Amino acid sequence: MMNKKKEITKPKYKNFDKIKIDDRTSEGHCRTPAYIRGKIGIIERYCGNFPNPEQIAHQVPEPKLIPLYRCRFYQKDIWPNYSGEKSDTLELEIYEHWIN
Amino acid sequence: MGPHDVGGERAESINLENQSMNYWEKFSNGLRIAISAKKIIVLDELRLASESLGDDYFKMEYFERNSMAMISCVIKKQLISEKELKDKIPIIKKKFDIPIIDLPNKESINHLHDNHEAPHQKKDFVEDEYGEGPPDYFLRMMAIAELLSEKNIISMNDIHTKIDQFDNEFPSRGIKVVAKAWQDDQFREYLIDNAKDAIASIGIKLETFADIICMPQSSSIHHMVVCTLCSCYPRTLLGMPPTWYKSRSYRSRVVHEPRSVLAEFGTVLAQDVEIRVHDSNADMRYLILPVRPEGTEKWGEEKLTSIISRDHLVGVRIPKI
Repeated sequence: MMNKKKEITKPKYKNFDKIKIDDRTSEGHCRTPAYIRGKIGIIERYCGNFPNPEQIAHQVPEPKLIPLYRCRFYQKDIWPNYSGEKSDTLELEIYEHWIN
Repeated sequence: MGPHDVGGERAESINLENQSMNYWEKFSNGLRIAISAKKIIVLDELRLASESLGDDYFKMEYFERNSMAMISCVIKKQLISEKELKDKIPIIKKKFDIPIIDLPNKESINHLHDNHEAPHQKKDFVEDEYGEGPPDYFLRMMAIAELLSEKNIISMNDIHTKIDQFDNEFPSRGIKVVAKAWQDDQFREYLIDNAKDAIASIGIKLETFADIICMPQSSSIHHMVVCTLCSCYPRTLLGMPPTWYKSRSYRSRVVHEPRSVLAEFGTVLAQDVEIRVHDSNADMRYLILPVRPEGTEKWGEEKLTSIISRDHLVGVRIPKI
């Protein structure tokens, strides 16, 4: 629904699947913020397949189209000293190769 | 990660003053959008070039950083050579050089100087509307724009059209969409289900490759948007992001202390309202749909539009009557 791009890789995860963002370090361009690496959340939705930013930024010819998801986390699971409410959440977009 | 990845850092309170943009900044933005619209350089190449500025990243202000990133991409992609750029800059600079010319009748003005001959020697100075010459990065950017135009890659008109749209068209689009959604339940549903198509259905051409997601505010969930990695923002829907949206304070703090940030905007929410922060970090862009205030049931489109502002559509404030 959200995306009309040609799908090359079928999405591995479905809504509400429990996931963990990979905790690896990265060199070069990357769209996975440091604060979310290693954190546990769920899949909120599959957004479609998009060219891998780590490849297109470096002008890799024929970049792979990879599944992109919106992932949801409880704030208290991201920040050990979170001062807001237990129900507060955060959502962001994560490419499949960063999800375990 | 590079200097751009600030989510979770501690920072000072947010400066809510929205600084207006000067012409150089508008031109820089217009060029960037014109280049992106034609897919000449993709967004992630620009992002990488900006992240690769190293220590200079902290020394440059926002538009200078973006311009330098754009220039390095254009050269890296061999759309323009270093030599072409170097040769073009003096030609651009010349446009701002206004020679001082001796007045036609010297005798008649000499008395103003107690009969001393005033030093009317010819000397070039640089002039612009602000009384200063354009910054160095603008001369380079203008050179790039003219070279790309000479090569028929983009036209100067493309840039000027974007500048005009950012001034006069884009800032009112999101407001129009929200006013429509407040009055038309079917449109509201369409907007929440597929915002990009719903917006297109009312004749707004976003010309963007990113998808738009609409998040409706409710009595139980309050949504707000940030981009912790750069300044992703639905620009062709909302106009330019305000200064605070691009600030390090906002970007670093919203993800870990959203309630304190909201309080700085005067938005205080009950404890039982879930705050949901959206870090707009990749290919989606967000439109927050505020709740139509009570007491506006009989209002027409124009009056509704008058109470909607950009801040509501980013989720930092709530419309009130």
